[in-house]
Amino acid sequence: MKTNLPLPILIILASIFLTACVRDIDFDEADNIALTPVVELDLIYFTLTANDFFDSSTSNPRLTVSDTTDLPFLNEGFAQENLRKADFFFKFTNSIPRSFDINFQFLNPENTETYGTQTNVSQGTPQNPQPTDFTETVEGEELTELLKASKVVVTVTIESSNEELEGELNLKSKTTYYLEL
Amino acid sequence: MKNILLCIIVLWIGDLFSQNKEVLYGLEEVPQNLLLNPGSKVPQKFHFGIPFLSQIHINGGASGVSVYDIFQESSTDINSRIRDKIFEMDAKDFFTINQQLNIIDFGWLAKNEIYFSGGIYQELDFISYFPRDLAILAWEGNQQYLDYDFDLGEVSTTGELLTVFHFGANKKLNDNLTVGIRGKIYSSILQFQSKNNSGTFTTRETPDGINIYEHELRNLDISVQTSGYASLRDADGSSEVISELLGRSLFGGNLGIGVDLGATYDIGRNWTISGSLLDLGAVFHTNGVENYESKGDYTVSGIELIFPPIEDGQPTIPYFSNIEDEFEREVGIDTVNTSYTQLRPLKVNGAIKYRFGRSIGTGADCDCYNMGGAIETNQSVGMQVFSVFRPKGPQLAGTLFYYRRLWEFLSAKATYTVDPYSASNVGIGMVADLGKFNFYIAADNLLRYGNITKAKSVSLQLGFNIKIYE
Repeated sequence: MKTNLPLPILIILASIFLTACVRDIDFDEADNIALTPVVELDLIYFTLTANDFFDSSTSNPRLTVSDTTDLPFLNEGFAQENLRKADFFFKFTNSIPRSFDINFQFLNPENTETYGTQTNVSQGTPQNPQPTDFTETVEGEELTELLKASKVVVTVTIESSNEELEGELNLKSKTTYYLEL
Repeated sequence: MKNILLCIIVLWIGDLFSQNKEVLYGLEEVPQNLLLNPGSKVPQKFHFGIPFLSQIHINGGASGVSVYDIFQESSTDINSRIRDKIFEMDAKDFFTINQQLNIIDFGWLAKNEIYFSGGIYQELDFISYFPRDLAILAWEGNQQYLDYDFDLGEVSTTGELLTVFHFGANKKLNDNLTVGIRGKIYSSILQFQSKNNSGTFTTRETPDGINIYEHELRNLDISVQTSGYASLRDADGSSEVISELLGRSLFGGNLGIGVDLGATYDIGRNWTISGSLLDLGAVFHTNGVENYESKGDYTVSGIELIFPPIEDGQPTIPYFSNIEDEFEREVGIDTVNTSYTQLRPLKVNGAIKYRFGRSIGTGADCDCYNMGGAIETNQSVGMQVFSVFRPKGPQLAGTLFYYRRLWEFLSAKATYTVDPYSASNVGIGMVADLGKFNFYIAADNLLRYGNITKAKSVSLQLGFNIKIYE
């Protein structure tokens, strides 16, 4: 008995070792793995007061103010390769009794506009600030153009202005980035 | 053929309970059993391992996930399977790879009845805990997790490649007790570690704040230590890298010292207990050290435009790079070259064994000169415990085993192991002594061999030796 027992065991063991295998597996599926995080990030914010729209030294209204910030991540590789869609959300609160035109111009490094958008902000009063929300979704062809830009110029235009004007125009904004890694 | 290749790949990248060689432990027919317990009983008078072939050990594992979990053929989307796994696993789950290759291994019984043994082996050891919060952040983003504190401290990983030079002594002190000690010199080729990290990342909605959100890094304290990496990065071409690595493997790297201790004690004729402590030591990293640290707190709410009165042609305010500079100042990565000491992962083995069956070899029932000593039989059963100390605490495994000497030249041992990977790990090992030629193979997770991809860990050891008994 002692001599007969091991042989079957050996055969079983050998077959176990040799048949260890990979079944019902599809490694080609690795190509389909896609990370699709949705990232919320603040963008710009500002508060302009009514007297920003009046030049007291010359006693002239200043109907347009503008500022520029670099957004270098837009035309860099990561966004180029992975960004599928961007939702811009702008939240204005206006307590100045005037309406505003707001212009966003996205410029490439050569200062050529590649993408632009604009909105109107309705007038409020110092006692009753008026909210205005503005959402801009960018995808597809437009996104390709947007991602050629490296900065944004924000231009704020007031319809009219004088020395007595009171109140504030406030902006908060964020972007929702839909990525595919 | 493709499947065989896949098997090999899966074995390589797949798994093994880190460093637990439960089948090999206590298997006295295998000379390399002395590397698991320097105080094991040594039946032979001399052994010499075939260079590069006396022990090949591969062990990889993932405690929370198997290849099958992710890559199974199924109607569900692979991305939803990955997502489910990310949420199912926690930060205590880990991935490990441990590989050892004996380059030289030898031993002999000296005139003073001490069995000396020594050799050189190369070891690769890697563990990474699953950084769950970071995985969620990468997979899902922060939109669904506003006000949630993503824990960046879950990052915990170590990896090393080293050569070990060892020499040990083993002596049977009396009929019952055998003890052994092994000294080791570690020559580290590459090492990195990132442990004891902390910090959180939070995106908070701030209705009364200056912007819609506030992005905050709080109590950030993340560090990565590397040794042997900086000079490779600067090396010129692969031949320079290879000669640099070879030099380090032969005492040219950062050196360390360590010791293994072990003992075997026979209680009466049938019972034996044994235990060992392995790699009680440290490597001192002083050369080629480059460490990266990031510490501090940082909060940002976007870019504030101040609409300065600017004439045409004047430069605009560099809002964005100001924020980048502030980030660098508060939580930027510092590179330092501080030496550090790395403890090697300490391993503990323990076993209790009961022998029965037909008596063989020495110490037979009727041997009047062996009244107190143990008898050798052709079968035994017992229990083993194994523990390895890892960055987040010890990892434990328990094993039941059955050993049988099938023929004079062939022994086998079967094991059943419960460990963090699974509760149904069956392993088997065989040792053949063909004349002076000794061959062994041991593997675990056999129940998964029907479809190896379902295994969360795989361990495989095999080797060839020359052994002389008289």
